Parts: sequence; C-alpha cells; structure tokens
Amino acid sequence: MSSHPFRFPKPQWLNSATTRTAGVYISGALFSLGFYFFIDASTYSKSARNGSTHHITFVDWIPGICSALGMLVINSIDKTRLGADSFSYSGNGVAWKARLVLFLGFALLAGGLAGSVTVLVLKYLVNSVVWPTLWFGVANVVANALIMMRYVCGVQLREWWEYANEVDSSAVLWVAQNMEDEYTYNLAL
Amino acid sequence: MAGLKTIIALSFVLAIGFLLVILSSALWKNYLPLLVVATYVVAPLPNWICSRAANSDDFMENGGSGVVDFGRFMTGFLVVMGIALPALFAHCGMISYSAMLMSIVGGLLIYGTIISFSMFFQEDEEF
Repeated sequence: MSSHPFRFPKPQWLNSATTRTAGVYISGALFSLGFYFFIDASTYSKSARNGSTHHITFVDWIPGICSALGMLVINSIDKTRLGADSFSYSGNGVAWKARLVLFLGFALLAGGLAGSVTVLVLKYLVNSVVWPTLWFGVANVVANALIMMRYVCGVQLREWWEYANEVDSSAVLWVAQNMEDEYTYNLAL
Repeated sequence: MAGLKTIIALSFVLAIGFLLVILSSALWKNYLPLLVVATYVVAPLPNWICSRAANSDDFMENGGSGVVDFGRFMTGFLVVMGIALPALFAHCGMISYSAMLMSIVGGLLIYGTIISFSMFFQEDEEF
C-alpha cells in the first residue's frame, strides 16, 4: 500500500464495512444536531426568555436552506459516474455533468457556511448584540458547520471505503487522472 | 441466548424508561416530554423499511444501496432528535431542566430496550 506519499499508513479499520455504516449513522446524527441547534435558536427567539427586540427572521434561515440543499445535491450524485467517461458504453459527457452538479452542491454547502457567518456579523455583531441574543447568530454558524461536518464524516468515509476496495476501477482511474489537489490525495489513499 | 431472563430484564428496563418519561411530564403537568417516546419508537422504523425496500440483487452497486443508507441516516437523525428535543425544550423554558434529564434518561432506556430486543431476536430468525 505505497500508493500515497505519506509516511503514516492509512489505518485498516477505515476500509471495513462496519466503519462505513457507522459513518452513515454519525452523519445522520451530525445533521440532526446541526438542525436542532438552529431550531433551538428559533424557538428561543419566540419564547418568553428572549428579552430583546431581535428575532430570527427568514434571513437567518437562508444559509441553513442553502446547506441542506447542497447536502441533498451532493448525495444525489452517483459518485461512480465521475469516471463514466472511461466507459465505452456510457453517453457522452456524463462525468462532466456529474462534476458540474457536484460543484454546485459544494458551492451551496460552502455558501451556506459563509452565509451564516455573514448573518452573524451583519445582523448581530455589527449591532453589538450581547450574549443571550448573540446565540441566534452563533447557533446558525454551528448548525451550518455541523451540516458540513456531516458531509465530511459520512460521504468521505464512504468514498474512502469505495476507493480503498477498488470496487470500481473507473472511479479509481478518475482519481488517478486527477491527482492534483489534496482532496483527491485523500480519495486516492 | 434470548431466554426468559433476558425478556424479563428488558421489560423491566422498558418499564423504568416509561416511568421516567411519564414522571418527567406528569410532575410538571406539561406533556411535551412524551414526544421523546414517539421519537424513539419511530427511530428504528426507517432502517426496517429501507432494508426491505432495497434490491437484494443489485450486485453492481458497491457497499450498500442508497436506500439503505438513507434509512440509516434517518435513524441516526431520529436518535439524536430524542436527546436534542428535551434539551431544546429546557433551553427555551418550556420544560424544567430536571424534566429534561428524566426524559432523556428514560428515552435512552426505551431505545436501548428496543435495540437490544431486536438484536436478540434477529439472531434467532436468521439462523
């Protein structure tokens, strides 16, 4: 297993199906945690404990919606299609389309996280809001970060597992062809 | 394996779990913590449904189909929801913090019972 330049070998347990299943469960748990952080902030905004005049409005919801949509888009792509151009029988440009849609998904995910920070700064920090109300903005950032973590834990583990077992040689081929950035280094073991 | 003692112990734990959840809602005359029971009863359902719905003959698919993964995702979501919901209620002043503690512990006991019960009896079915 010397197909990567690093001195530390990839731990064997990352390859097992059990790890992959655990990754899927953890990803659901992380998404739930992020979701309820934000729901908590919005409930707090409506509850009797909120003494301030600030409230969660639709603006606060937009980053979360972007993140959830991005997650949906990324997970609806069949990752093996990324190498589909090397199949002789697949239609033309399937891999190109898959990459485009995947890019859109990543952009939505990153946009959600960036948007939550934007809301935190522009709506709360600039108006010098103090702690109990500042929670609305902080919870938004935490929620979006957790949804992004969800992706890292769930899909990354699954991809590691798939590429590790080299079940789909064309996907490995795609990784081998595109070994440029650190991300694909991760995928290429 | 799954003898009479296991069943008695499991039902005992289930009863304690229900006792804690019902106490947490009845002591304060506020029945929101009962949602925890509903969450944990629903939690294993996506796994069961999606494992039935998945094609068993799609050998082309590597490492489990998307439907099964979706079921696991939903189960993970619901399990954390059972903990997050009382915490949310307590943080927003809808239930007290002691009610939160009791309903979380009770919910975990109920869910643990369901999981261990299905584990014990799935083994009997398969072999």
